Amino acid sequence: MPEGILHPDNRTEMLNVGNLDKDLESHGDPDNDSDSSDNSSKKRRKSKLPLVKHLYVESRNETGFLGSCRMCLEQIREAMLHHRWQEAAEYMACYPQILEHQKNTTAQRELVWRISTEILHHLPNSTMDDYNIIYERMKHSGVKLYLMISLEHSFHLMLHGHIEDAKQQLCVAESWRYGKETTSQLQRTKLIQAYRSLLDYIIWCDKKANLSKNHSFDSDNQSVHNYFRQASVNLQEILKNPGVWDPFILSYVEMLEFYGDHEEALKVLTDYAYDNSFPPNPNAHFYMYRYLKRHDAPEKRLMKALKNLHVLVPSHELMLEYSSLLLQSDKRSDTQKALGVLLEMLDFGCWRSNLDVWRCLQAVVRELQSEDGWEGVVCERMETRKYWWPALHFTSFHAAKDSEENPKLLEVKASLAKILCPDRRLRYAAEQS
Amino acid sequence: MDYQFPERLFPCFYNDGPPSGSVQSGAEAGGWGCYYGALPQGVADSPSGWSFTSKHQVRGQTWRQTEPVAIPLLSPKKAFLGVLTPPDPLDFTEHMQNFYVNYGHDAFGCMSDILGEHFYFRFGKKQREKHRRGSVSMWTMKNFIKRMKYKTCHLMFGASALGSYCSLLSDVVLDVPPELLGSLLHEELTEQRDRLLFSERTTGGALAFVPFSRGRGCLACPGGPGLNRLNFHRVELQRRGVELSSREPHSFQLEAPIRQISHASLLNDCCVAVRSDYLCGAWRFSETNEPRLLQVVSTREAATCVSVSPHVLGEVLVASESGAANLWTVGRGLQKVRVEDANLYFNAKSWWRWCEFSAHPRVILYADRTGVELTDVRAVSAAGLTLFRISSTAACRSGECLLQSRYLGDAHPFHHLVATQYSAYVMDERFPCVPMLKWDHMMEAPPIFCHAVPRAAGSETAGVLLGSQSSQEITLLQYSGGRVQPCFSLGPPQALLRPRESLRHLPVQIPHRLETATNRLSAPAAGLTCIRGNAGGGPDGEECVCVLQLTEAGDVFYQVLKQNEDPSDRRRPETSAPSAEAQLVVSDTSSDEEIIGPTQAAAVPETQTVDSDSSEARGGRRRVKRTPLPVFVNDDPDAATTDGEEKRSGRTPAAPGSRTLHTWKVWLQKLTYRSGEKALDSDLLTAETKNLLTVPDGEARGAEEEQREESLRRELKACMSSRSLLLLRGSASSAAPVPGAVDPEEWTDALSRRLTVSWRGEEAWRAWWHDNMGLNVESKVEALRRKRRREKQARRAAGRRLELSGSFTSTVSYQTELDGFSSSAEWSSAASQGAWSDVDSDGVLSKLDRFLSTPLHVQTDGPVPTPTPTPQRDENHEQQIVSASQRGSPDTTSSSQRRTKHPARDDLSSLFETQDNPAAAASCQVSSSQPVPPRTTRDVFASFASSQPASRAPQGRRGPPQASQTQKKKPRMGF
Repeated sequence: MPEGILHPDNRTEMLNVGNLDKDLESHGDPDNDSDSSDNSSKKRRKSKLPLVKHLYVESRNETGFLGSCRMCLEQIREAMLHHRWQEAAEYMACYPQILEHQKNTTAQRELVWRISTEILHHLPNSTMDDYNIIYERMKHSGVKLYLMISLEHSFHLMLHGHIEDAKQQLCVAESWRYGKETTSQLQRTKLIQAYRSLLDYIIWCDKKANLSKNHSFDSDNQSVHNYFRQASVNLQEILKNPGVWDPFILSYVEMLEFYGDHEEALKVLTDYAYDNSFPPNPNAHFYMYRYLKRHDAPEKRLMKALKNLHVLVPSHELMLEYSSLLLQSDKRSDTQKALGVLLEMLDFGCWRSNLDVWRCLQAVVRELQSEDGWEGVVCERMETRKYWWPALHFTSFHAAKDSEENPKLLEVKASLAKILCPDRRLRYAAEQS
Repeated sequence: MDYQFPERLFPCFYNDGPPSGSVQSGAEAGGWGCYYGALPQGVADSPSGWSFTSKHQVRGQTWRQTEPVAIPLLSPKKAFLGVLTPPDPLDFTEHMQNFYVNYGHDAFGCMSDILGEHFYFRFGKKQREKHRRGSVSMWTMKNFIKRMKYKTCHLMFGASALGSYCSLLSDVVLDVPPELLGSLLHEELTEQRDRLLFSERTTGGALAFVPFSRGRGCLACPGGPGLNRLNFHRVELQRRGVELSSREPHSFQLEAPIRQISHASLLNDCCVAVRSDYLCGAWRFSETNEPRLLQVVSTREAATCVSVSPHVLGEVLVASESGAANLWTVGRGLQKVRVEDANLYFNAKSWWRWCEFSAHPRVILYADRTGVELTDVRAVSAAGLTLFRISSTAACRSGECLLQSRYLGDAHPFHHLVATQYSAYVMDERFPCVPMLKWDHMMEAPPIFCHAVPRAAGSETAGVLLGSQSSQEITLLQYSGGRVQPCFSLGPPQALLRPRESLRHLPVQIPHRLETATNRLSAPAAGLTCIRGNAGGGPDGEECVCVLQLTEAGDVFYQVLKQNEDPSDRRRPETSAPSAEAQLVVSDTSSDEEIIGPTQAAAVPETQTVDSDSSEARGGRRRVKRTPLPVFVNDDPDAATTDGEEKRSGRTPAAPGSRTLHTWKVWLQKLTYRSGEKALDSDLLTAETKNLLTVPDGEARGAEEEQREESLRRELKACMSSRSLLLLRGSASSAAPVPGAVDPEEWTDALSRRLTVSWRGEEAWRAWWHDNMGLNVESKVEALRRKRRREKQARRAAGRRLELSGSFTSTVSYQTELDGFSSSAEWSSAASQGAWSDVDSDGVLSKLDRFLSTPLHVQTDGPVPTPTPTPQRDENHEQQIVSASQRGSPDTTSSSQRRTKHPARDDLSSLFETQDNPAAAASCQVSSSQPVPPRTTRDVFASFASSQPASRAPQGRRGPPQASQTQKKKPRMGF
């Protein structure tokens, strides 16, 4: 029998000696081969499984203090996840000690801030002062947290109606500079500026409303204009970055429209809608359409905007308008397009029992029927749908449901069923007759 | 309206790139306490009309469990349970050892056959001749090898001969080279560990609830020991919980374990698709029709996903590890709709694929570990449109990967949930790429089960349940919006109950049953679903959600959550400084609750049980009897606060109801019965006892001895036949003497005394501490005063003579004390620092008693006239104790007062004052201008002190100076 098996102690001893040797070697040469291969294998295993390592999980080489902090954190987490806020608050009274530890990390500081605010959210007797203290203290605990906490602080103030205070916070954060800027920090700065401008816009709106009520002097007018200028600089800046800027662009366009700068407004909206670096935001086209409509743009431009929206969101509620626009135009191809748009709308569950769409479809089909070869056109559009449309719309279950909930819908649908699916015997229609 | 798209969304940056490192600076801190964004709402016309909404709102609906434990739904069946703790791959040496020890024939078979004839293992020499010459006798090894099975001390049981054989043969005797075996074992253990930590096969979960009407429905879940039997249980959600119908479930035996069950119902008809590793089946049923199997398809590669269409009944998506997604129209067969050889966005080295339907019946989601694409089934060649990808747009962390995607049709027709190990995202398919919402779900293990909690009628708020496998977690997330308003999350994630935590709330189990139950309850989760309904059953019933969880042991546990709309709880800090009244009210109520908390806690379950279940009225009565108990609870400040807290937070009741307890009791009983009482491990190390107990040789014993033995045997026999007790009369005298009584006085250090006291119960122990810390000085003083007063009255009643002697005594005692102090500082300090505690005062007192009962001797010893025991002395022995405790430190208890005519009271008060205040004591000492007493007095002390030699030395060193001295006083009267 091998010795190692009979005497595992011996073997481990030998292994230990081996380790010691390796240790000695690795001390001399940190880039030892065996060492690095060990590391890489560990990494590989780690990345293979989607497992998470949490802060509250025991780590190696932790001292007594860190160990008790971790246990405390575990208790806090447990209490918070089960929404036992009082208990969490009691533990939390001790946890900030971790901030006094020399090696506390940004994550730990952020954690202290996050947990404290969350607990404050849920304690019945927390006051605004408590929040301010937490935000202010933790803001200055680390440079990496400053911008984020400032922004959150201003959100908190905004949500509680302290718009002036929030603006003050944002202004302070705006002028904060520290070392080299990372991308996220840069973006956060821009976001802070944009939010500040949004608050400027709000003040602008309020002043403007006052102004129109009071018919006051030029100086007031000037100050209102100042707000516009302050806001527009930053808003213009942030709109250059790809992103979702719905509230910012709306306020910017409103201000531009007020001062009659329609060119700039249209340019901003066009960029927002058609710039490929931006995400495909349906609202961009929606704003565009609304702006065009407000300024009585020609139908062609409206239809173009809606066409783009249709590509993105075929189920958008503006598609009803689009189909009626298409129906109004004289071109035959447009009527066919309208048929396509409506059929696509009806593919979606949310429109399936909507009477307006079915009525629209009925109108389009009638329009088509006035011309020759309409069956071909319908067939073409229904080609890809013929297998599942009957199951989607025209089963006996649907008939029963429609007759119960909306008899008019039943009527419209029944008349269309035969036209849309001519070569199939439908229970929907059969039951009707 | 479902088709509306929010008019304005929360602002965010769009960074189309791989996850960047800078985002994750503090990402592990969790997702608490952030608003993430704000959006102005309101009319611009009025100056104060502006309000903001945040992307994360502080509070959501409050859901609380009706019971503190999850309740088992099905009775426990036989199940295979794997290991629960993931093995450490580095333990392979241990596994190798086990293999060599337990499977020696496999490990050493070949060589042992060859070498066998050269070794001889039997005992003795005779048979040896039969064997070949030259064979080695190994019989001494036999015992040694026998012991190898056990974990014994290898040094102690070592054998040098064996060591030499080892070095000789270790490299030839093994059938499998250890290097090879070791690496294979390591690999296998690694794989096992990975599988236990995260097993993607069960993604989606094998539990489905198909609702019919009014809380009734059908629960499809796997059963049988291998989870290879599909059961359809009829269940109903009632006020008490989930009720199984008494009918036998419809069940279908399958060929492989069930991994996932997907279902969809459309207009009263329901389709259930079941996925096992290589087979997928579809069943169809309705409320009135029995389930019936429609079709089974097999896939060449392992299937990873099955998903039933919510639009068209009978359409199922099947994805497999080949990278293909198939549309399976039941009855027609599979049609390939998307094939992908590689991962979508980057190489994640994973063959896991997932499919879901979307709002459009012909657009499907195709997902792998890197992202989700929207694919139009009608145009096979067309590339998909990215719905979600692991990128910095979604602020993903590096290493994040997609675990599951789920169509949230119940909550919003355009929403999809994407879950990763860190976060959960809500994606709107109308606006791909940008997550509408992101949560940090903060779960320990990756969530691979997901279920949408349907919206309540008229409510926008929807819930999402995420479930993990190995840790059995369920997390409830809430969100709202997506129609008129943009999506926003509500409240922090809420963790629900886990089956493995149930035993804490249940009555204590016998250890080996506890082990069975614990193992069974900690089996990994295998599925998750929920039922939404009214708890009362009627239209006005409370909104409730029942969450069901399946474990791999085949058990289903449920918990009922009720919505708790607490108006006071909803109060938000609207203003910067809330009005004083509001605060006052809050504090008032909380303190109120704190006081009556425990009583309420006992009263609430009582009423519940009574009106919920009349058959359980007995349990209710039992509770009524218990109501006075909380009075004791209140004594403990800790218990009172925690109890009050539980009430205040409006959480679940602390103890499970009697019905739940009953269910659990039955369940655990059945479990023990099913699992069978395991025989005690027969492989225990047995010690040789054969020659240990032997009667010494008969020759040594005399005839008398033998005779006695004989008679004893006879008697024993007689007793046994008459079934009576054998009483040893004569021989009893030879029994070993009882060891001497332990005298706790002998150990006089603090620890020993504390331990001694603790034998007398907690009260005494606590009292000792109080004394030691000097916490009860006040009360003692009070007691003493009372006693003295009584004493004085008694004396007054007894007559002049006594009073006189009493005053005399006090004067004398004062002098002796003074003497003691001034002459021997060590003594005073020793005594003042706590010489005798209350505890052993009995012992001390008895000694003192003896000491005092020989007054003459003392008198002769010194000039101090020791008072003779007063006539009352016997009747109030107590008095002595009091004075004993009063004696205290001899540190010159203010001399002037000593001499006054009222020795007791003033004396005492000053005594305590001085003791509490060392400075004051010192001043007293200084002020005392007494002559040095004669040496003889000291001798009295010396003799006294020598009667307790052990006590003195440690006393000097020990104890805080402020330790109460009340108990440490020797009776002054004696001097």
